[in-house]
Amino acid sequence: MSDNSMYEKSMSSISYSKAYIAVNRFGYGARGDELVQAKANPKQWIISQLLPIAFNSSLPHSNDIFIEFANYRKAQKQQKNKKQQSKNNQSNSEMSKKVKSDNKMNKKGMVNNSARHILRSMSVDTLNRAIQSSHSVSWRLLDFFSNHFSVSANGRLMVGLSATLEREAIAPNLLGKFEDLLLAVEQHPAMLIYLNNEKSFGPNSRVAKKRKIGLNENLAREIMELHTLGVDGGYSQEDVIELAKGITGWSVKNPIKERGAGFTFRAHGHEPGSRTLLGKEYSEKGITQGQQMLRDLAINPATAKYVCFKLAHHFVSENPPASLLNKMETTWMKTGGNLKQVMVSLFSADEAWSASAQKFKTPREFVISANRAIALKKIKPKVLFNSLVSLGQQPFTAGSPAGFSDDESDWLGASALMARIDWSTMVSGYLKRSNAEKVMTVSLGDSVSQHTYQSVMRAESRQQAMTLLLMSPEFQRR
Amino acid sequence: MKYSNEQQINLSEKSSGLSRRKFIKMAGTGLAVLSFPMSSAFAKGSIKANKNSPKIVWLVLRGALDSLHTIVPTFDPQYKKLRPKLSTSFKTPLLPLEKGFALHPSLINLHQWYQEKTMLPIVAVSSGYPKRSHFDGQDFLESGKGEIDQYSGWLARAIDIKHKKALAVSRSTPISLRSSDQVNTWYPSKLKDADDDIYSALSQLYQYDESLKEKLKKGLEVKGLVESEPSKAKKRNGKFIELTKACAKLMIGDEGLDCAMLELGGWDTHNNQSNRLEQKLTELDNGLAALKSGLGEEWANTVVIIGTEFGRTAKENGTGGTDHGTGSALFIAGGAVNGGKVAGHWPGLKEDELFAQRDLMPTSNSFGWIGSVLSQHWQFSEAELKGVFPQMKSYDKKVIKGSVRC
Repeated sequence: MSDNSMYEKSMSSISYSKAYIAVNRFGYGARGDELVQAKANPKQWIISQLLPIAFNSSLPHSNDIFIEFANYRKAQKQQKNKKQQSKNNQSNSEMSKKVKSDNKMNKKGMVNNSARHILRSMSVDTLNRAIQSSHSVSWRLLDFFSNHFSVSANGRLMVGLSATLEREAIAPNLLGKFEDLLLAVEQHPAMLIYLNNEKSFGPNSRVAKKRKIGLNENLAREIMELHTLGVDGGYSQEDVIELAKGITGWSVKNPIKERGAGFTFRAHGHEPGSRTLLGKEYSEKGITQGQQMLRDLAINPATAKYVCFKLAHHFVSENPPASLLNKMETTWMKTGGNLKQVMVSLFSADEAWSASAQKFKTPREFVISANRAIALKKIKPKVLFNSLVSLGQQPFTAGSPAGFSDDESDWLGASALMARIDWSTMVSGYLKRSNAEKVMTVSLGDSVSQHTYQSVMRAESRQQAMTLLLMSPEFQRR
Repeated sequence: MKYSNEQQINLSEKSSGLSRRKFIKMAGTGLAVLSFPMSSAFAKGSIKANKNSPKIVWLVLRGALDSLHTIVPTFDPQYKKLRPKLSTSFKTPLLPLEKGFALHPSLINLHQWYQEKTMLPIVAVSSGYPKRSHFDGQDFLESGKGEIDQYSGWLARAIDIKHKKALAVSRSTPISLRSSDQVNTWYPSKLKDADDDIYSALSQLYQYDESLKEKLKKGLEVKGLVESEPSKAKKRNGKFIELTKACAKLMIGDEGLDCAMLELGGWDTHNNQSNRLEQKLTELDNGLAALKSGLGEEWANTVVIIGTEFGRTAKENGTGGTDHGTGSALFIAGGAVNGGKVAGHWPGLKEDELFAQRDLMPTSNSFGWIGSVLSQHWQFSEAELKGVFPQMKSYDKKVIKGSVRC
C-alpha cells in the first residue's frame, strides 16, 4: 500500500463502536449522554430500552373522529336534500342558492381542516415523543410496525383516521405477541376502511341475499401478502378468498344508525360455513373463525421468516446474514411470535453489530436523530412536520399498503440529497448557540473519521460546521 | 420618562400580528416572513425611527477575508514575491486607491464610492483575537469585549444604550445582537438555504464516500441544468443581493429600523482563491449596491461597517489559496462616511514585519474604528462607549462627514 493510500485509509476509516451501534443503528440516535450510558454494556443497554410507549392522551380517539365525520356527512346530505327542494320550489332565487352553496363550502372546509389538523397533531406528537424519548428504540419499533401496517391518508375519512392506527392498535401490542398486534390492527377502523373490509359481506350471508353487496378481497390479500406470509409465502388465490370470507362481517359501526362507533362484527354479513385456509379447516362460527385464521397466520413459519427479514433489514442491514435471521425465526417459533423476544434475539446476535455503516437513514430517521442530537428546547410543530414533507416522507402518505421503502436506493438520490443539504443548512441557521463539536461528541462519540472530524472543525462558520456534521457520512449512515 | 414607560408597556405585549403583515408586505414578492416576533412597540411606532436618523449596517464576512487580495498593496515589493501566482491572477486591471493601494477589480461599486469619498478602506486591522479558529474568531469579533461572550454582542449593547432597534437578517440572532430585546430576526423562507460554499465543503467531505459523492455531483449537475439563464445570473450574484434588497426595504419601511446586521460566508479560500474571490467579491459588491439603491435617500445617513474574523497568510499556499492569518481589513462605507482615502498604518510585508513571520501585522483595532463610528454617527460619549467596548477606546479619526472629532 502506498503512503498516500495508507493516509487516505486512516483519514476515512470509521469503525463504529458498539455504543454507537446501540444508540444510532438500533435507536433514533443519541440524545444527551446516551453514548456514555450505552458504553459499559451496549447489548444490555439496548435490550433494556424495549419499554412501553405512550402518547399525548388529549388527542381524540378514532371513535370521536368517526362520529364527527358521520355527523358531517349527515348534515351534508340534509343540505343537499334541502337544496334539491329549494331548487324545485324556487329555482329562480339565485340569492338563496348562493348563500346555501357558501354554507356548504364552509362546512366542508371545516371538517377537512379539522381532520388535517388532527393528522398533523398526531404525527407531530409521535415525532416529538421519538425525539424526546429516553428509550427511542421502542419508537423505532413503532415506526417499523406503523409502516409494516401502512395506511395512507387518502380521502377525508382516512385523513382523520390514519394516524390513530399506530396509537390505538400498534403501540399497545408493540412488545407482545404478533398475533395480538395483528388482530388489533385488522380490527381497527382505520385498516378496515383503508382496505375496504367494512363493506365486505359473504355472498351467501343474510344481508347479501337482501341487497346487492358481496365480497371484497382487498384486506385479506394484503394481510397475507404484506402483513403476514409475504408475497412468496406459499398461499394461493383460493386462500385469499377463503380468508376474505373468514373475515366477512368485520366492519365499523355507523354512529348515525347505531350506538357508538368503532369495530363491530356484523353476523348477518358473515359468510356461513367452514373455511379452508392453507389446507387447514376452520369450522368456527362467527367472528372467531377469522380470528383463528389470523392467529394461525401469525405463527406460520412463513410469517416468522417474512417479518424477521423485514425487521433485520430495517434494524441491521440491507443484506442481513442468514445466521441472524435463523436466530430470530427460531425465537419467533419458540415464543409464538413474541416481538420483544424476537428483538432481544436480534440485539443479542453478534451479526447485528458489524462495525461498518450498514444503512442510510430514511428522512424520518434523519430528522428525528438530528433533532435528538441538537436537542432544541422547543421545535415548532409546523417546522417539524414540514421537514418530513420537504424531505419526501410526509407521514401517512406512502400511498400504498406496502408502506415507505426501507432501501437505500430509494432514499439516497441526487435530489433527495440536495433536499437534505437545504434542510440541514436551514436547521443549522436556526441554532443559536451552535456547537458542532459538542453535538458531534454527543451523537457520534469517537465513531467519526479523522476526515469528517477535521472538516467539521475547520468549517468557516459555526453554521457551516453544523451542516457538515449533519450531512456527514457518519450521521447519514448507521 | 413617559417615553421609557411606554416602551416597557409595549414590550410586554410581544408579537403583534399587524407588524407581521406589514413586514410581509414590505418584504415584497417571493419573500415571506419566517420568524418575526415584533414587539408592539415596533408596530405602533411608539419609538418611531425618524427619517434621516443615522443608520448603521454591520456586515460580517464569515470565513476570513484575504485582505491582501482585496486591498492590494501594489507598492510593496514583497507582495509579488510572497504571492507570485495570486498577484498575477487578476483578469482585469486593479482599481487604484491612494498610496499605491488598489481594490480588487470586482469591487466596482465600492471603488466608485471611494472616488465619491464615501468609502473608507482600513488596512491591517484586527479584533485582537490572537489565534486562528473561525468559530472563536467570529465570536470574539461579535462579542467585542476583548474576550468571547456568546451571550452579549457589541451591537446589542450599542443599540440598548441609544434606544435603537435592530434587525438581524438571519434565522437566529447572531452573537453581535445578543443581549438586547430590541432585536428581531428575519430571513426569507422562499430562498433555498444551501449555497455554493456548502456544496464545495461537502464535496470535500464526501471524497471517501463514493455514493454520497456521486449523488452530490449529480444533484449539482441537475441544479445547473434546470436553472434558466436569468437564474444562473442570479446565482452569480448569489442570494446576498436578495438579502440586502430585503434589508433595505425593511429599514426604510413604516417600522423604521436604525440598525441591521447581515452575514456573508464563503471567504475561507484555502484553494482556488483567485476565482472564488472574484465571484465572492462581485456578490458582495452587487449586494452592497442593492442596499444603497434600496435605501434611497436614507443612504446619506447610513454607515455600513464590513468586518471579518481575521486575515490570511501573507504568503500564498501550494493550492492557489491562503491559510488562516491575523491582520485583515475593515471597510466603512455609506453616504455618511468621510472616505476617499486608505486608513490604517501599513506594517510592511518583510519577514520581520509580519506577525509570527507569516501574517499581516495588525496595526489598529477593529473596535477602535467601530468606536469612532459610534461616537461620531450615534453620538456615543466615551463613557457610553465603555459599555460597548470595555477594552477599547475610539480612534481620534474623522470617519463620519461633518462630525466633530472627539
